[in-house]
Amino acid sequence: MIQRLTLAALLTVFVALLGVVPVQAEPYLAVMTGYKCNVCHVNPTGAGMRNDFGVTYAKVLLPEETVDTVLDSWTGKITDRLRFGGDLRTDWSRDTAPNTASQQAFALEQFRVYADFTVIPERLGIYVDEQIAPNGSINEEAYVRYGNTNEGFYLKGGQFYLPFGWRLQDQTAFVREVSGISMTTPDKGIELGYEHAAWSAQFDVTNGAANAATGSGYQVTSQVVYTKSLWRLGLAGSSEQSSGGDRRMGGLFAGLRTGPIAWLAEGDLVHDDSLPGGRTLAAGLLEGDWRVHKGHNLKLTAEYSDPDRAVRNNQQTRYSFVYEYTPIPFLQLRAGYRHYFGIPQNNLQNQQLTFLELHGYY
Amino acid sequence: MALRHFLGHPWRTGTLLASLSLAACAGNGVGLDANGQPVGTGGGGPPPPLSADFSSIQANIFTPICSVCHIGGGAPEGLRLDAADSYNLLVGVPSTEVPSLDRVKPGDPDNSYIIQKLEGHAAVGAQMPFGCPTTQPCLTATTIAFIRQWISNGAPPPAVATVHAAPLTVTSIVPDAVEPVNESPPQIMVAFNHELDVWQIDSRSMHIEKIVPGESTASTLVSEVVPARVSVSNANLRALMVWPSHQLASGHYRLVINAGAPTQVSDLAGNSLALAVPSESGESVISTFDVEVHP
Repeated sequence: MIQRLTLAALLTVFVALLGVVPVQAEPYLAVMTGYKCNVCHVNPTGAGMRNDFGVTYAKVLLPEETVDTVLDSWTGKITDRLRFGGDLRTDWSRDTAPNTASQQAFALEQFRVYADFTVIPERLGIYVDEQIAPNGSINEEAYVRYGNTNEGFYLKGGQFYLPFGWRLQDQTAFVREVSGISMTTPDKGIELGYEHAAWSAQFDVTNGAANAATGSGYQVTSQVVYTKSLWRLGLAGSSEQSSGGDRRMGGLFAGLRTGPIAWLAEGDLVHDDSLPGGRTLAAGLLEGDWRVHKGHNLKLTAEYSDPDRAVRNNQQTRYSFVYEYTPIPFLQLRAGYRHYFGIPQNNLQNQQLTFLELHGYY
Repeated sequence: MALRHFLGHPWRTGTLLASLSLAACAGNGVGLDANGQPVGTGGGGPPPPLSADFSSIQANIFTPICSVCHIGGGAPEGLRLDAADSYNLLVGVPSTEVPSLDRVKPGDPDNSYIIQKLEGHAAVGAQMPFGCPTTQPCLTATTIAFIRQWISNGAPPPAVATVHAAPLTVTSIVPDAVEPVNESPPQIMVAFNHELDVWQIDSRSMHIEKIVPGESTASTLVSEVVPARVSVSNANLRALMVWPSHQLASGHYRLVINAGAPTQVSDLAGNSLALAVPSESGESVISTFDVEVHP
């Protein structure tokens, strides 16, 4: 009963959001501006290296104060063909959980560098996204793309992030964990993409995470997004064939701008036969980003996760309060608090996380 | 002022309240164990307080935290940490990342690879639990101290495991038939429900066969017999390791108990391994697995 009520509540909120007429690589920025992902990013599905417009936006429109420096002409370009970029996030965090000693630590969350080389303008390019630290170098994305990623069809081949739902900065969001598709889980294969006016679509055939070590099986993922200036709606689906058990999932996601607030919502349903007995999982996200003032953003999220639809009383929720302050170009300070609510028997499902983050990018 | 402006719109307030109402949606856990599964299906009941005892460590750490990833055929490094498999795949078993170190070396926590992985100073790979401290808490020094103490105490098995009421059977094998492995396995790990009689087991006890599967067991062709060194872990008498004499190429394989061998797999009570009906040659197949080596 509770599960039905929860789904009903999620659906009600979702439909209410779609029905209201009046609405920055964080997807809320895209919803806030009404832009498609490829307006600011080299990667047409978003995240990673920013293009000329993306860097200009980060210099001029995002920060509270625009600083007059030699960076005025910086757009990441070394030559007409070669471009570099990067992100460094370092933080202090404190975890507390019931019946468990609290712990706190400073950590280098990630230092990533991007490079893009245009071999033939608007036709052929090579892109690399490499995490340099921590834990040594890890390749996130490396692919060749053929075609124009701004209009018409294009083809990507190599390793890349799969398109499925909102590409959130928080990789621990329930919708990202349940779907298993996030910016920590790139896959190898090919992607056929299409960009035209308000439409964006991708069709991917990749190895599938469960097949990385086995050399068998495959994953097919597809996503379609329709973007208008005030709202957008997306539909995603994926099917993974694996000797350990197949996995199928679908997701519906939407964005809406209402004045100074950008709303994001996503609901995912997953059926996973690789889990004992086969399980159906569900996850939902509702996020509101309020641009309090230029350079200031307040992010509130409410999340829901049901790790096994066949089991009662096991649902989890999570609430986050994050304040993002961008005082000057290419520097962001984030302070946040996340509270998990789950079954009382499991301490980790009831933990609280407080963090302060310094984010530098170029 | 800004907040009043924000809340001044009924639909905004309504949406915010709807968001907050989701707080009531967390499960109350009634009838569930710590893993969110109905009591009785996943081990049941609240976990005992954390102590330097394997059952307690399993219930408080391995099951709720580690086995989220370390489970099933896709478990990283073949290390399954669910309650059925963890002890036998940990104690006295060489790690795959640093084979010179046992995952758990009884009496020597400093040279037990699991401690190095949990404390974050292992020579290979990331600190465990994966992603800590950014995406989930690392185990505290106090928690790790319980594991250290258990290892210092000799890493004794859970008390229930010493009860020999059931016949001797295999509890887990790595690799198994669930998923092929993409490189020659350095060893095949066979875990049993009882401690084995080491004097009854040696390299004459079993071997590995490369096979061409037929429609039935009788029509299966053996294309190669791979000699293997067989040993029982001194630190864990329930873990048997089979070391192929050479690297295994791509193909189908099976682990076979030698027919008529002077040594047989049996436990300390003298019970022989309960297996399926032997083949015509009298051999008994313990497990089959596939190797798919990619250049």
